[in-house]
Amino acid sequence: MSATLEHPTKTAAAPRGAAPVKESRELIRSQVRAGWILLSPALLHSGIFIVIPVLAVLVLSLTDYSFGDSWSWVGLGNYADLFRDVDFQASLVNTVLYAVVVIPISMAIALAVAVGLNQKIKGLGFFRTAFYIPTVTATVAIATIWLWIYNPGSGLANGFLSLFGFAPNRWLADPATALPSLMVVGIWQGLGTKIIIYLAALQGVSRDLLESADLDGASRWQKFVNVTLPALSPVQFFVLITSIVGTFQVFDLVYVMTRGGPGTETRVLVLDIYQNAFQDLKLGYASAETVIMMIVIALFIGAGRLLQKADVND
Amino acid sequence: MTSATITGPIASQKPSGLRIGRILLYVVLSLGAVLMITPFLWMVLTAFKNDLEIATFSWLPTELRWRNFVEAMQSAPFLRYFRNSLFIAVGETAFTLAVCTTAGYALAKLPIRGSKALLSYFILLLLVPFQIILVPLFLIVKSIPLFGGNNILGQGGIGWLNSWWGLIIPLGAAPLFTFLARQFYVSIPNELAQAARVDGLGEFGIFWRIMTPLVKPALITICVFQIEAAWNGFLWPLMITTSDSMRPLQLGLAIFAQNPAEIQWPYLMAGTALATLPMIVMFVFAQKRFVEGMANVGIKG
Repeated sequence: MSATLEHPTKTAAAPRGAAPVKESRELIRSQVRAGWILLSPALLHSGIFIVIPVLAVLVLSLTDYSFGDSWSWVGLGNYADLFRDVDFQASLVNTVLYAVVVIPISMAIALAVAVGLNQKIKGLGFFRTAFYIPTVTATVAIATIWLWIYNPGSGLANGFLSLFGFAPNRWLADPATALPSLMVVGIWQGLGTKIIIYLAALQGVSRDLLESADLDGASRWQKFVNVTLPALSPVQFFVLITSIVGTFQVFDLVYVMTRGGPGTETRVLVLDIYQNAFQDLKLGYASAETVIMMIVIALFIGAGRLLQKADVND
Repeated sequence: MTSATITGPIASQKPSGLRIGRILLYVVLSLGAVLMITPFLWMVLTAFKNDLEIATFSWLPTELRWRNFVEAMQSAPFLRYFRNSLFIAVGETAFTLAVCTTAGYALAKLPIRGSKALLSYFILLLLVPFQIILVPLFLIVKSIPLFGGNNILGQGGIGWLNSWWGLIIPLGAAPLFTFLARQFYVSIPNELAQAARVDGLGEFGIFWRIMTPLVKPALITICVFQIEAAWNGFLWPLMITTSDSMRPLQLGLAIFAQNPAEIQWPYLMAGTALATLPMIVMFVFAQKRFVEGMANVGIKG
């Protein structure tokens, strides 16, 4: 202990020169003690409510635990069962589809809006608020509003489209349009966060580089592709990761709007996990499903990383 | 739009070309803003309509039926849900502030051995999505010893299920906020603490009376994000509450919307307005905090 403390003691004592070393060592010791005391609630909390659960989910996935007293190890049995489970397969496919459609579209729109907002426009506060409001609003509230918008009889969606002579659509009730309808809401709601992050990053793009590109006669598009986009690369990656994690967690929207229906057209992973765990009480099985979700998220993040690297090397 | 735009002689061309571009920009942005706001407008308009008006598509209600709000409150305990949400948001925020500012300060300013590794630990944890730990978290909360009829080993009862403890504590104090708090404290110079130490102020006094008042704006950032997260939470309360007396507003809304065939849309939209308004108001007033917080996490994090 004393060995590691020697260094800070010296530096702390140095400016005051004559300060007795013993006293400042005591001072350091009281700081260390205070540090651990102040840190302990957070360590305890994160240990109990995050670390243990993460480890537990791995262990649970190898059991057939279901709230009762008796349970047994089933090895990889849950995983084998999952790959024969049609509900799980549908959920996995739908979740991946949802992510693959929602992430690129919302990132592209958000970037375009952020670039627009970055042009020293008037009313920036108003636009920022408008685009961000869906993000601060509870997803359940968003879902109930859109449930009403998609109402086949008197909802806004059909009402609006009828102005242009389109026939009414059944939206959430129609297998062909149910998942796309949810994707629209997902894209719509997720724009705000991305726009604000992009906007902050755009303000950090080097003025010098942009100006020298001007002098070289670069067009706006060339400047955007060659200067702005590379400068945004780290932020793009951050937005991508948070979007991947966010889209794989989609639940509230589906739970309120479709419950996974019609059939399994909009069933997603978290909904399937929730129902397996808390309706069918198959906790081990749901845990195995969670582990697979973790792996798929990791694969997506890895793919995103590769994409980004390829981009930077171009 | 090539070099011509920046050379002097032809500069007179620049405004007209630019102006059309700018007008187009405003038109596109305004259209976007309309797309963002219309659903909320539609929600408010619907909340004032009568049953006949919602049978077909229409924009405006013929009269403003304020009664709908009163009747909505009677058809479901929305006010109680609202109060519960408020209680959860306030409790969770207080808990988060207490746990995360202390930890963030310790990580930033006190000479703990391995504080770098501890910081990495919290950063790693902030990447763990809640959905991943759903199932075991439920089991842990169910087995909290000596609560809800549990014995000392956490067996026999329901622990923190269906309790305020369970609603508030597990989801509070997210590692994200410990990390944020740490970032704020790091930027304060050490000399202030050093001077207070020379004056004989204890370590906790330095934390509470000297350093924390200096990061007050940052704490507001943590507050708005935590309030938003707590207010909008749905899955966790859905899992652990079994009685109406503790259900938050989002859960109440979802229950009310459960049977699409029989939904009373004006009432549901009145309840939804109740659920969305507080956060919109908070955002409008604390917009700067939101924006700075997002930018901090996104760019530095």
